Amino acid sequence: MSVYSSLSACLGLIALWGLIGLVGLLRPMSVGFVGRTLFPLGALCGAALAVVAAVSLASPPEQLTLAVGLPDLPMHVRRDALTSLFLFLLGAASAGISVFAAGYFRRGHGTAPGLLCLQYHMFLASMGFVLLANDAYAFMVAWETMALSSYFLVTTQHGLAEIRRAGFLYLLIAHVGAIAILLSFGVMQGGSWQFTFDAMRGAHLAPQWAATAFLLALFGFGAKAGLVPLHVWLPEAHPAAPSPVSALMSGVMLKTAVYGMLRVTFDLLGHAQWWWGLVPLTFGLFSALYGVVFAAAQTDMKRLLAYSSIENMGIIFTGLGLAIVFLGVGMPSLGALALIALLYHSLNHAFMKSLLFLGTGAVLHSTGERNLGRLGGLIHRMPWVAWLTLIGALAMAGLPPLNGFVSEWLLLQAFLFSNEVPRPFINMLLPLGAALVALAAALAAYVMVKFYGVIFLGQPREASLNRAQDAGVLERIGLIWLALSCFALGLLPTYVIGALRSVVEQLSGAELPSAHAPWWLLVPLPERRASYSPLVFFLAIAAVVVVTMFAVRLFYHRRVRRAPPWDCGFGGLNSRMQDSAEGFGQPIRHIFGPFFAMKRELPSPFDHAPRYRVTAGDRIWLALYLPLGTLVRRVADTVMWLQQGRISTYLLYSFVTLVVLLALVV
Amino acid sequence: MRRRLFKNLFTAPCTEPVTEGAATLEVAGAQLRGVIARSLGRSLAIREVDAGSCNACELEIHALSNAFYDVERFGIRFVASPRHADLLLVTGPVTLNMREALERTYAATPAPKWVVAVGDCGGGCGVFADSYACVGAVSKVIPVDLVIRGCPPTPTDLLQGLLELLSGGAALGVNTRHS
Repeated sequence: MSVYSSLSACLGLIALWGLIGLVGLLRPMSVGFVGRTLFPLGALCGAALAVVAAVSLASPPEQLTLAVGLPDLPMHVRRDALTSLFLFLLGAASAGISVFAAGYFRRGHGTAPGLLCLQYHMFLASMGFVLLANDAYAFMVAWETMALSSYFLVTTQHGLAEIRRAGFLYLLIAHVGAIAILLSFGVMQGGSWQFTFDAMRGAHLAPQWAATAFLLALFGFGAKAGLVPLHVWLPEAHPAAPSPVSALMSGVMLKTAVYGMLRVTFDLLGHAQWWWGLVPLTFGLFSALYGVVFAAAQTDMKRLLAYSSIENMGIIFTGLGLAIVFLGVGMPSLGALALIALLYHSLNHAFMKSLLFLGTGAVLHSTGERNLGRLGGLIHRMPWVAWLTLIGALAMAGLPPLNGFVSEWLLLQAFLFSNEVPRPFINMLLPLGAALVALAAALAAYVMVKFYGVIFLGQPREASLNRAQDAGVLERIGLIWLALSCFALGLLPTYVIGALRSVVEQLSGAELPSAHAPWWLLVPLPERRASYSPLVFFLAIAAVVVVTMFAVRLFYHRRVRRAPPWDCGFGGLNSRMQDSAEGFGQPIRHIFGPFFAMKRELPSPFDHAPRYRVTAGDRIWLALYLPLGTLVRRVADTVMWLQQGRISTYLLYSFVTLVVLLALVV
Repeated sequence: MRRRLFKNLFTAPCTEPVTEGAATLEVAGAQLRGVIARSLGRSLAIREVDAGSCNACELEIHALSNAFYDVERFGIRFVASPRHADLLLVTGPVTLNMREALERTYAATPAPKWVVAVGDCGGGCGVFADSYACVGAVSKVIPVDLVIRGCPPTPTDLLQGLLELLSGGAALGVNTRHS
């Protein structure tokens, strides 16, 4: 072999990220140094990582034992196709986000820029290390570093009580999840007390223990992914964090949970039972619907995107469940299709959700407003941000020439054949999932119309919006990078799937049927005759637009008159007459009423200052988390009488403990 | 219930025959239909504008659409937005409050277009003439192609007026220059 190894290149780039973070501490207060030098360097580092990972996708796995770690407990790292794919996702998405962040972070509030730089790059590096780790110890260290560094990033503006509260909730659920993952590793070592992943691959678990490990992992990684009912931290933490951090958390960090789930299910556990798949499938479908319905009811733009992330993670976990079912019953080609759909959707979501979060960041920066009720008409003031965000919104809505459509289409393709699963009842119920996925996709389009229309179209709802400035050059570059990625992933699906092939073959152990279709036509299952050609689609749309424009120019009577919009003769159309975020979401709130814990404040006809308020609360928060919190508090209160604050009492405790232990030993 | 259903199935609806002016109506309507087909090629879209009327004219205009007159068979249609209209049917002595709305409606109607003032008020000599609250005739606010007098004019009068307008001197496009 040559001296160059892609594993060591990845490790080096990840270490470089850490180094960049540390350099930030040299001049912690200098926005110029940190923003204009270190963040672009970090972006370059990410781009390099993406290139290295993409090149190494098809190459055979390689592993190393690092000379760091506790005595007798060195860290193992490994790079295989799955790792490469997620490293590519991390590098490529973070490149765009870091460039944007270079222009975004300014002096003034919260954490000093240098410290922020350290936390940010530590976050990136720990995510990279999570992907490379090849033993439970290294994995957990990286996993916890990731949780902690992102906690500090979420609480950048730690002066505000609500942000501290959001950060605490995030940390709490991250740790509950981490405990479950740790327990899962504990089960998977299977009595060998070897915590390397190699040992876990070799361990032979009894079926019930394998299922236990799977369910624990699903709980742990589901908490990170924001699966309902472990989703409550997402809509709190995302609005609290600065936008590049929200983008990174939603676009990339959630994908580490997908990675972990794939690693545990298909690699460490190996032979997954088909019925395991029903659990992520059920929770995934429920999360998809729940997330999108709540997104429709939101009035805070970042909260809306956070709920949309829950929806997308739901779709990804649905794909995971479907893949497990198909592979478990011995339908490898359909299992591979479901895996492709879920990996493709992970990639797509990383780019489009980052793009949208950065778009909201630019809006937030320029207007200081997160509330949809005080935005509007920004397409005139911020054309760059508006048009680039439009691409993200179209992709998120799942419209054809863009990337969001491809993966959802693939998932639906996989679903449509699930009636062939040779299990009674299951083969009748599974196709219903396709209906739910389709419903979630349609509602996602509705949510995106609301998101985009209320922020960028119509009239500005506040006078201050007329002073809004478009994003700076660095921010634009970041947005353009992500928007181009969305286009590329949407227009060239055959290449993407070709690249995913090695990952899928590694995971499913099945040879993919080689496609005989031309490069521009996507044919997931040759014998089924379903195909899609985004390029032709795109060209057809472009051609229709151009031809229509020419036709209008040439043949229309040219007597075009610009007139103000028809206002029924009353005049004075103002911004308060526009459809509002609440108004747009009202039908969904009404139809899906049982999902919400709704509180309405209606004015009486005799009110002098009438006020209308409606809040759509989360039933799961009220029904599950609040009672749980109360219970914990009550237990803590009961135990607290032990803590008397007198040294003699504590000495008595020690004495009693000693006596009891002695009695036990003797 | 059953009896009523069967009755409705097998007997004609209980309406009175059109007696007074029925022949005039049919003749005017048939001519109008021909004129509309010739000059517009499609149907005539009317937007009604109440510029402060006492609603007597509205009652008569509304009657055009009922089963007696049924003007849709002649190719006349009332539309909800001036954006879709060929013709504005304006009633009432233009009140000060409705003046701007009338101007806006006129501006919102795509050219070429006609304006027909309906009733004595719209023509400028109704019972509200010279009131402090009124501007006066419709023609004081926007250019008018035809005035149909009457307090209120009957539906047949209205149809004959429209026939006059479409077949007579007023070629489509009188109001074009005011756009």
